[in-house]
Amino acid sequence: MANYDFPPGSRYYDIAVAQLPQPDGGALPYLRRRFLPAADALATLARRRVVEGDRPDLIAARELGDAEAFWRLCDANATMHPDELTAEPGAIVRIALPDGVPPPARE
Amino acid sequence: MVTGIHLTVMIGPAVPAPAPQVVIDALQSVEVTSGRDKSGFQLTFSVGKLSPLLTTLLPAGYFDPLVTRVIVAVTLGGLPHVLMDGIVTRQDLAPSSEPGQSTLTITGEDLSAAMDLIELAIPYPNMSDTVQAYLVLARYAMFGVTPIVIPGFIPEQPIMTEKIESQNGTDLSHLRRIAEANGFVFYVDPGPLPGQSIAYLGPDIRIPVPQPALSVNMDADTNVESLSFGLDGLAKETLLVTVNDPVTGRIPIPIPIPAISVFQPPLGARPTPPLKMVLSRDTGGDSVPYTIKKMLGRLLKGSANAITATGSLDVLRYGHVLRSRMLVGVRGAGLAYDGMYYVDSVTHSLKRGEYKQSFQLSRDGLISLTPKVPI
Repeated sequence: MANYDFPPGSRYYDIAVAQLPQPDGGALPYLRRRFLPAADALATLARRRVVEGDRPDLIAARELGDAEAFWRLCDANATMHPDELTAEPGAIVRIALPDGVPPPARE
Repeated sequence: MVTGIHLTVMIGPAVPAPAPQVVIDALQSVEVTSGRDKSGFQLTFSVGKLSPLLTTLLPAGYFDPLVTRVIVAVTLGGLPHVLMDGIVTRQDLAPSSEPGQSTLTITGEDLSAAMDLIELAIPYPNMSDTVQAYLVLARYAMFGVTPIVIPGFIPEQPIMTEKIESQNGTDLSHLRRIAEANGFVFYVDPGPLPGQSIAYLGPDIRIPVPQPALSVNMDADTNVESLSFGLDGLAKETLLVTVNDPVTGRIPIPIPIPAISVFQPPLGARPTPPLKMVLSRDTGGDSVPYTIKKMLGRLLKGSANAITATGSLDVLRYGHVLRSRMLVGVRGAGLAYDGMYYVDSVTHSLKRGEYKQSFQLSRDGLISLTPKVPI
């Protein structure tokens, strides 16, 4: 069940909100943990080389047209920390379709 | 930028799967129309005599009406846009004696077509409009339809000893009737991911975040192929409702209902005045909350917009996919017609190496209210 607190472009769009009971009888809403999708299952769109001084948001803005979509690069490269993506110049960053979107055609 | 546009077509009984390569190879063109309350699609395949589509897939029921669900998505710059999630309603085969001219055309509608199949007569005792709508939409959860139903502004709780609301007709006609009574709209919108849809029953809210501007007559910045405007002075009308005076109950007092909506803020600085005055012929004898609900529904619905614009664009030039039911800016058309517009309907036409959209925009008056539009 989608929750509508986040826009569709957010990584938390599909994450459910749970309630934590409090000692005073109230409930503290919290976001459930988000698990990274299996990177191998995502359809690859392109591969790009990291240049000197690159940042995840710069790559996202350049390749995907949205700097806030850097988390999709992390998903595609099975990285927990965005900075690991661009830590060494010359590394290859994979750009993939989001989880749940199949590749354009099936063989 | 990840260049190019990737088209994803998923076809299948009940659960759509990515189309096989032979189907994609045969696909000639895709047309998706997304309108105010209904959407449709058309896939055209080029088929030879020995094409696997004709020899295997068609006889095996791959394109059967109703059971076959079709999802069309395009990926532009790495972002997927689900254009259509619908069911097949019709096939047309046109064999030709000319080589390569035989075509198979698959036509379909969005998921609301599935709600318009079976006529039912069910009572809904003690259920308000909202509960009824949720109950009806719950039958379509298997299609991945998430319902969003906004409660009416004048809540009316029917009590079964007085009257029992009932459905007489298809689910879609019942949902439309609920929407009509509250001044709401009902539509099924595909997305955000393939296989998901949102069924929305609520006020016709114009999402305030506008899409990048359509520019015309601006040299290198021009991103539309054609754009034309029209102003219809007779489109707007004022409704005249009469209520009998409370003392004698005999003298009718006319009350004009203006053609405005709180959810559709004016987009033009000089609104076109309503020239027509029409009499309401269907009120009288109803309960007060029911009459108020009806009048408010009329107020929420607003009226036809006086200014309409039609045009077409090339998506690669525009750089985005223009979506319907949202705002968009227009610039380069001159002082009177520049500014924000509401996108009424969009038709996507995809061919190999080409993605074009034709669109219809509307608004209520001349001259922009905003000094600049986002580009």
